[in-house]
Amino acid sequence: MIEIKDMKKQFHDNVVLDGIDLTIHKGDVIGIIGPSGTGKSTLLRCINRLEVPDEGSITIDGHTYTSKAMKSREVIELRKQTGMVFQRFHLFEKKTALENVMEGLIVVQKKSREEARQIAFEELERVGMLPWINHYPKHLSGGQQQRVAIARALAMKPKLLLLDEPTSALDPELVGEVLDTIRNIAKSGYTMLLVSHEMEFVRKVSNRVIFLDNGHILEDGTPREVFEHPKNERTREFITKMNRLVEADYVI
Amino acid sequence: MGKMFDFGLVFRQIPSLLQYLPVTMELAVISMLVGLILGLLLAIIKIKNVGFLNKIVNFYISVVRGTPILVQLYIAYFGIPMFLRYINTKLGTDYQVADIPGFLYAVAALAINQSAFECEVIRAALQSVDRGQIEAANSLGMTYLQALRRIILPEAIQVALPSLGNSFITLIKSTSLAFTCAVVEMTAQGKIIAGRTYRYFEVYVSLAIIYWVITILIEQLIKFFEKKTALPEQVAIYNPERALAAQEVQAHD
Repeated sequence: MIEIKDMKKQFHDNVVLDGIDLTIHKGDVIGIIGPSGTGKSTLLRCINRLEVPDEGSITIDGHTYTSKAMKSREVIELRKQTGMVFQRFHLFEKKTALENVMEGLIVVQKKSREEARQIAFEELERVGMLPWINHYPKHLSGGQQQRVAIARALAMKPKLLLLDEPTSALDPELVGEVLDTIRNIAKSGYTMLLVSHEMEFVRKVSNRVIFLDNGHILEDGTPREVFEHPKNERTREFITKMNRLVEADYVI
Repeated sequence: MGKMFDFGLVFRQIPSLLQYLPVTMELAVISMLVGLILGLLLAIIKIKNVGFLNKIVNFYISVVRGTPILVQLYIAYFGIPMFLRYINTKLGTDYQVADIPGFLYAVAALAINQSAFECEVIRAALQSVDRGQIEAANSLGMTYLQALRRIILPEAIQVALPSLGNSFITLIKSTSLAFTCAVVEMTAQGKIIAGRTYRYFEVYVSLAIIYWVITILIEQLIKFFEKKTALPEQVAIYNPERALAAQEVQAHD
């Protein structure tokens, strides 16, 4: 079980996270939705400390990491337990797909090359990238790069996988392959926090949806509850707006 | 009086000048390596913006870049022994100042000079690496040093290579000033030869030819490294069937 308590983050005068409390159960796939600039990405980045939160703590399997006075050893410890998939992939440009996945296993987990290779193969196969393991990021399409990035995060066997708008930087026709990949790993029992604007996908893949607005969690429930019976006025507005984008302009 | 310009001598004396090529190259290579390491340290201090240290580094770079290399060589040659003698009398140590070879003073001055220029080249190269990749490395649990070694440097080197090559070429020519520290390298040897033959002009032409050829060779070497560090244009599709076969073999082992 993972518990986030009173997470706060402020950029100058702009309060992005205003005391977020969130309990994540093992196997939860939590979709985080909300308008732009409401701290969805910041929440993920604060969880693995790419952004240093002003306040708050994270408890993973009984070990609590308090944001203040965290030693660099603890930061590494925390990051080892969380995996991150970025909007813009951020693959290592000078390394092949295979080396990208092996990197963390060798450098951080101190696995032997052979063992790392074996794991990297399995993970790349899972995301359907086996034919491209010797390609460099510049040879790959955005969707392929993102699948490698997912394999890279999964290879570390994180207790919590953070996906930060994994399809927002992709051409529309490439979104599908990445969503399929995420759906597959969701099925295999990974605990995930997914920030996405693909409402239909969030509704299908997650077992719990959170609506974030102005640094607060306004809604927290099953996809059905949040999408069909939102309690809050802001949520209703947002979801109506989103639905309008999906619906046809007129029906014959 | 013989010929005005002894064309044959220009080439005939090249071998005796080349005897001192190793000294020139040692000076250049050692100064380059020390300068690179120092420059990398300075660059990291500047990037990480380490408060007070940062100010010292800026001052250091300003002084070193703002004074001629010839002056720096003289300062090293006269200043370091003076400083050591001062320490000897103050702290009662026993450094044999007279035993220190001039070569070391020359390397010290050249390396310090080099580090100030290298620092800026390296800093620019390190900062050219996309922040996202560093974040990705961090998110995997890598420390800054691990990310630096495994991710940032390999990419930065490619960016820095042309500039570093350039500054190495400059450095090789700067070694011709090492005579100020009583080091006999190629140019000093040329002067010694000319002192015997009075053919100063021919010696300088010979030296010009040698330095030029070395520069051309090094340019080629840099081009070779640039090609070597570049990513391949195309990569063949990996054959999954062969991979499966290989995995089965491993499973049997």
